Amino acid sequence: MEEKRIGVYVCWCGTNIAMMVDVKDVSKEMEKLPGVVLAKNYKYMCSDPGQDMIIKDIKKYNLDRIVVAACSPRIHEITFRNALENAGLNPYMLQMANISEQDSWVHTDRIEATRKAKSLVAAAIRRVIHHKPLKKRIVNVHPNTLIIGGGVAGMSAALELSEAGKKSFLIEKSDQLGGTAAKLKLSFPYLNDVVNDISNLIKRVEKSEHIQVILNAEVQEIHGFIGNFNGIVKTTDEKEYSIEFGNTIVATGLKSFDAGKLKNYGYWKYSEVITSIEFELLVKQGVVVNKKGIVPENIAIIHCAGSRNENYNNYCSRTCCMSALKYANQLRNLLPDANIFEMYADMRTFGRGCEELYTSTSRKGIMFLMFDQRAELPLIKEDERGNGVVIEFKELLSGEEIQVPADLVILMVGMEAHENAKSVSHLSGISMDSNGFFIEKHPKLDPVATTTDGVYVVGSCQAPKDIPDSVSQAKAAVARILATILRGTVEVEVTTAEINADICCGCQFCISVCPYGANSFDAANDVSVVNEVLCKGCGTCATACPSGAISTKHFTDEQILSQIEGLMAKVHELEELETN
Amino acid sequence: MSKDPTIVAFLCNWCSYTGADLAGTSRMKYNSNIRVIRVMCSGRIGPTFVLKAFREGADGVLICGCHPGDCHYHEGNYKCLRRFHLLQKYVSQLGMDKDRIRLEWISASEGKEFAELVNNFSNKIKEIGKSKVRKTMEEWT
Repeated sequence: MEEKRIGVYVCWCGTNIAMMVDVKDVSKEMEKLPGVVLAKNYKYMCSDPGQDMIIKDIKKYNLDRIVVAACSPRIHEITFRNALENAGLNPYMLQMANISEQDSWVHTDRIEATRKAKSLVAAAIRRVIHHKPLKKRIVNVHPNTLIIGGGVAGMSAALELSEAGKKSFLIEKSDQLGGTAAKLKLSFPYLNDVVNDISNLIKRVEKSEHIQVILNAEVQEIHGFIGNFNGIVKTTDEKEYSIEFGNTIVATGLKSFDAGKLKNYGYWKYSEVITSIEFELLVKQGVVVNKKGIVPENIAIIHCAGSRNENYNNYCSRTCCMSALKYANQLRNLLPDANIFEMYADMRTFGRGCEELYTSTSRKGIMFLMFDQRAELPLIKEDERGNGVVIEFKELLSGEEIQVPADLVILMVGMEAHENAKSVSHLSGISMDSNGFFIEKHPKLDPVATTTDGVYVVGSCQAPKDIPDSVSQAKAAVARILATILRGTVEVEVTTAEINADICCGCQFCISVCPYGANSFDAANDVSVVNEVLCKGCGTCATACPSGAISTKHFTDEQILSQIEGLMAKVHELEELETN
Repeated sequence: MSKDPTIVAFLCNWCSYTGADLAGTSRMKYNSNIRVIRVMCSGRIGPTFVLKAFREGADGVLICGCHPGDCHYHEGNYKCLRRFHLLQKYVSQLGMDKDRIRLEWISASEGKEFAELVNNFSNKIKEIGKSKVRKTMEEWT
């Protein structure tokens, strides 16, 4: 075996890793391992100076393999692969050891965490010895884009693409465009009429020659990979569209929290109790009455309905406090003599203009009352005197048990993921968090892409959002997509399966296990062959192959088995060191 | 601490490895005796890897994939499940406790579940005790 020249780089990640792992000790010990030319540790390996150090070392010491012990490869593998490439090394000659998410952050004993880091890095070193340079595969990018969801986010994305002269398919489940924003009358914090804005947006979308809107429709199937997707869209009247596209934007939006679940609020019981969405409809019609048709005199707006509560949703929906203040202003204008009560748990009016909205609203004769979201929620009961309802709770600022009469109660219902989020996630190959919101590629550095190349998430399907945030995210996704369209080509993963025809016995077992039909039988030569365009590199055929003829590039048996060896060898070495 | 059993875990890239990463970003704590190997799909995990881990001295092997119906590659996790049942049988025939290997589904959002699983499995392996496979093999060869 020719001599390998491995460079090992252990990242401190500031204190994130260094606090729990003795990074200097790890790098010192790695230097002793066979094939390792040098081992270094540095504060931020992913920073420019960190990457430069690796690049310079590769050139100076003629390194041919690199191990980076840092965060999850899911975050920075691409960063370091690029660094290798910049140094003229094949990007696949890299192996990462995850000593952050799966070590320093989850353990509390520094000695143990350091030992674990040593064995993970040693495993990576053993593995990288067997890495082989892989040739990148470059594919063309289809210039069309599929956008799922015709709300503000989806429409903004479609228009942005249209500006660049690029076609999109805008698929909307309901019979009209606009989504949740189309239900609103005013927007916060400046209380501008948003009805016009949205209807203009819809008109521009409908007029664009580059946008094909398909209403009453759902995407049934998506196949392929970045640059080369195809899918089937079906409308409720059974019309079927077969489409081709290079990128996908998921913009499926939100669902309002079901107010009926809040047992203290009697949403179904009292005609005085309505949701924020129902209130929007009332103000849009210009008549504020409760379900009995009575113009209210005492109006309560209850914040955090279904939000920030362990019995319902733990998270904050980010927009409801501002909307609640907006309602107080609208009500003050429509009903100047009404008593208006804002019942909040915490007032969260962050962002430009929002705290100012809070201040100006508080000067309009509106009563602000605070309740404890962690204790029993306010209780809505029938008013014994027959005037609507009363709301009973312990008011936190005064510390008193109070009763507030109301003939209209507006519940500020939070945002939830759609029930069909799961099927959308399957369809597009993206992940959901425990609340059903789609997960972006990186929470800070890549909040638009997903772990599936060519699939982007925008708007409230990713997390509760207001209109400007949804629009920003939509336009950011389009910028990313346009970059690939303009380039015309994109690099795709090359970690596909390959069959050694000399060993293949022609049993065709691999053909039966492949979910993509990527393997086929070459009868003339009596062997199976892999279609690398269809293969996604899951490796199930390699595991099924009885003669060991199939290997999955970059996840070969040799690589994984040596990783296991390296892992355990270090464990035993350290154990023996301790016993002696 | 060196008396602690060692667990080798094989996690699929899309669900379980991401779930394990989430346990980290959420700063959940679990036993440090687990060593993770990432594969793209649980369908890639075959008996060779598991037996190799035991051969090299692992006391327990944990396999995690996406929940049924959630596999990034459609059905790799089902294939993993089928292989797992056979492997459990095989492992018992070798005279090992079949509970030394475990298959669980961990989604990308189940950081907490992953942390709990590691602790729970780790306790189970502690109960079973250290594996003698490596030592025996060394005596033979």
